[in-house]
Amino acid sequence: MDKEQILQIKNRFLKDISSSLDEKSLYNVKVKYFGRSGELTKILKNLKNLLPEERKKTGLLANDARREFEAAYKARKYELAETADWEKERIDVTIPGKKSEIGSLHPITLVYREIESIFSSMGFEVVEGPELEIDWYNFTSLNFPFDHPARDMQDTFWVKSPKNDLVLRTHTSPVQVRFMEKRKPPFRIIVPGRVFRNEATDAKHEHTLHQFEALAVGDGVNVGNFKHIASEFFSSFFGKKVSIRLRPSFFPFTEPSFEFDISCAVCAGKGCSTCQQAGWLEIGGAGMVNQNVFAAAGYPRNHYQGFAWGFGIERLAMMKYKIDDIRWFESGDLRFIKQF
Amino acid sequence: MKYSYSWLKELSGTKKSPKELADLLTMRAFEFEGSKTEGKETQMEFSILPNRGHDALSHIGMAREICACEGRKFYFLTSDVRKFLSDIHVDDRQDIYKLNIDVKDKKLCPRYIGAILENIEIGPSPKWMQGKLLACGIKPINNIVDITNYVMLETGQPLHAFDKSKAKSQKPKADIIIRKAKKGEKIKLLDEKLYELNENNLVIADSEKALALAGVMGGFDSSITSNTTSIILESANFNATSIRKTRTAHNIITESSHRFERDIDPNLAEIAMVRAIELIKKICSKNIKVTAISDGYAQKVKPWLIKLETNYANKLLGENIPVTKMKSILENLGLDAKGSGRLLHCEIPTRRIDLKTQEDLIEEIGRIYGYENIKEQALVAEVKTPPQNDKRDFENKLRDILVGLGFSEVMNYSFYGADDISKCGLGEDSHVEVANPLSSEQQYMRRSLIPNMLKNIELNLKHFGQVEIFEIGKKFRKKDGNISEIGILNGMLANDSKIPFLELKGNLEALLNNLGLRNIKFEAIEPEYAVWNPARVARVFIGNKKIGKIGEINPQVLKKYGIKKRVASFGLKIDNLSILSIKDKIYQTISKFPIVERDLSMFIEKDTKYGDIVSIIERIGGSLIKNIELFDVFEKDGEKSLALRLKIGSDAKTLTSAEIDGVMQKIISALEKDLKVKVRK
Repeated sequence: MDKEQILQIKNRFLKDISSSLDEKSLYNVKVKYFGRSGELTKILKNLKNLLPEERKKTGLLANDARREFEAAYKARKYELAETADWEKERIDVTIPGKKSEIGSLHPITLVYREIESIFSSMGFEVVEGPELEIDWYNFTSLNFPFDHPARDMQDTFWVKSPKNDLVLRTHTSPVQVRFMEKRKPPFRIIVPGRVFRNEATDAKHEHTLHQFEALAVGDGVNVGNFKHIASEFFSSFFGKKVSIRLRPSFFPFTEPSFEFDISCAVCAGKGCSTCQQAGWLEIGGAGMVNQNVFAAAGYPRNHYQGFAWGFGIERLAMMKYKIDDIRWFESGDLRFIKQF
Repeated sequence: MKYSYSWLKELSGTKKSPKELADLLTMRAFEFEGSKTEGKETQMEFSILPNRGHDALSHIGMAREICACEGRKFYFLTSDVRKFLSDIHVDDRQDIYKLNIDVKDKKLCPRYIGAILENIEIGPSPKWMQGKLLACGIKPINNIVDITNYVMLETGQPLHAFDKSKAKSQKPKADIIIRKAKKGEKIKLLDEKLYELNENNLVIADSEKALALAGVMGGFDSSITSNTTSIILESANFNATSIRKTRTAHNIITESSHRFERDIDPNLAEIAMVRAIELIKKICSKNIKVTAISDGYAQKVKPWLIKLETNYANKLLGENIPVTKMKSILENLGLDAKGSGRLLHCEIPTRRIDLKTQEDLIEEIGRIYGYENIKEQALVAEVKTPPQNDKRDFENKLRDILVGLGFSEVMNYSFYGADDISKCGLGEDSHVEVANPLSSEQQYMRRSLIPNMLKNIELNLKHFGQVEIFEIGKKFRKKDGNISEIGILNGMLANDSKIPFLELKGNLEALLNNLGLRNIKFEAIEPEYAVWNPARVARVFIGNKKIGKIGEINPQVLKKYGIKKRVASFGLKIDNLSILSIKDKIYQTISKFPIVERDLSMFIEKDTKYGDIVSIIERIGGSLIKNIELFDVFEKDGEKSLALRLKIGSDAKTLTSAEIDGVMQKIISALEKDLKVKVRK
């Protein structure tokens, strides 16, 4: 029995324990080498048959080996105990996750937020007003005379009230005079809000709508400024260059008044089904604030200039999300809302 | 209005095709609505702006517009249109007072021209005239009626012809009286319906009866028939508001009322009368005699002046349009513009009632110059951050938290019907009523967001096992005659749980905590409305401020809405909440000292409230109590048991176990004494 032989046993032992993957096979290795009839045990048992000199030499080697074996065994055992059984751990990763849901914001809210953030970045303040409005703010102060055909442009819901002067606001413009009564120019505001039109609903018409109004008043605010702000806004909203086109129109509270169209964001003005081949989409109305409106708000005449414009949020949301029927917005149907 | 392309071409001399004309006018004047071609005639429809009904609801008006858009002046190509009444030959001069016009109210009828024409032969009008009428969407009837319509389409002035034999007169005079109707006076109009008039309606009458509803529709009895041989031709001007009121009251819209209610020029009446007589002479027999003309025109309308500051025009448009260009634009529209520098003195023709201020002229200049020629210009303004809209920001915060808690946002109509009020037992008195609702389901303004949200629940339970929704919107309330509008956040939850109240309450607490609100209290109430389940409803307080209600919806109400699951709902007044919410949170020091947990199990009496137990623990434990959690509830043999876990610690030191035991003992004694609970040891 020489040094060489013990070294060989040791190497085999180390190899065997490192290839043992669980405690049971490790135990078998232990038994194999230093169990009752293990290889190393045999050597140790045989010591007594050796010559004293050889016994001393081999005994030293074998006892060293035993200590080493035990330490290696212990270390490996600890290692295995610390290692998880990955097979037992294994799961089917294609099984559905545990249901957990967050809600959805209404698409109108999403569009409002986007609009408000663009305008805020251009220095516009967000202002609101009541939905149930008095005639003065909704019509008269905005230069709609009583019994004038211009009032027919806006089918109005009236409510029963002591003075019969309350309407569900037909536009967000009443906030113009409400705001100007309190503040002097220059200012830039936007007015988001719910408006009402007394008309039957279908895929394109709703009696309850959301609008947006922008009003900028100062010393020399002009038509060119309006075109600039409008094209900045729409380019930012649609994330690409959008052109603005103004056409003559009539609103009692602005003079001059325009309809404004934007180049179709889908086809970039080339003509497609969204814009009915026109290349342009009709978006809303605008104009330079009528001096009568300034006067109604208590400003001196011909002292200030300003532009006002308004457009419908539903229409913008329909374009952005390609929604085909305006009635979805007030449907309360989560199959619709949860898509956003 | 529907126009005949060939007629416009004839009057304006334009060389443009219908398509080119449509594009030009859309960009410079009126939006093109569509066209159709039948045979030789092309009909083009334009939407005439409400302030241009004075002049543009006519082929001459539109031809003038075309010329101005093409950069040239308009000249009458049909010479007849320029003559005056005095140019017309009236036969039988000695009997000049045959037509006596008596205008009772000169405000409501600023001008009335009547003419008597004899020896009329009624028959069809010529083919060319019928073609034009058809192109404009008007059905030919007979030569006289067609001529009145033709002249209206050409000039914009509505005309009317009466059968003279049907008008009673005190011979030899024919009397035309323009007066207000008598209360209850009845008249059968051309639509063969009988109308009962009121004192605000203006009528054209003879000495006995009304012959026509002025400016709206002629009477059936005095209408032109195949037997008519002499007529009274009317070319008049009526007050726009009065016509509008009358036609609204009787719900009639005619070509005539449409024009009159847009206010037309009294001077146009003369042009149209001359033109009509010319055409009648030309078309309805050679022997026609005009035996009388009478003109009641008290206050003659004359052109007026507007001074235009040319600098202001450019300042408002943001362009640099030369004064010569401005001048030629205005002149092409038929204005007389004098001057060449800073000030243009513009004489406005009486047909352009819409031109009253400088800005009106600036609009004319802007649109004809072309808005596309105005360059975009950055707004020069002070650079500053706009003030925040705290209310809107707060609402957005509510939305974000609720979405995080799994709720989706709905938006509902602000209306519901009497049916909803009764189903939810809300009481009609406090509701604001719509005077002209679209339908009975939309007759009332919502007094609560709940009814419409219950409809959302019903709809969505068809597709989803559980529904969690919220809405931020206005509710409307009438109280002691005052009407108010209140911003509300309403959350709603429906699922299979037996007590959805507790789930929604947890959501609400999470929401309020996130807003930085502490000291949230719930107090059982007797609900005012039947919509709530009376055994499961509470008022929500922050400290001692009421902020809203939470509860389950009455199962009987749910049944009426066809909802089979339980539903919980909360409603908060946004203003009340926003005042209390903490905008800027301040960091609280986290204690360095250990916190220990102690469990407390107890039997309680049936009516003992958890809220009272917590109050006692907090009162006794004070700042040492860091948290109280209910982790078990069970009932056995009529005895109710609760298990609570308390977290106890001090911010100043490590508590000894004797100190903790001392606190616990005090708490237990107080609970046993005040609430008669039996703490399990």
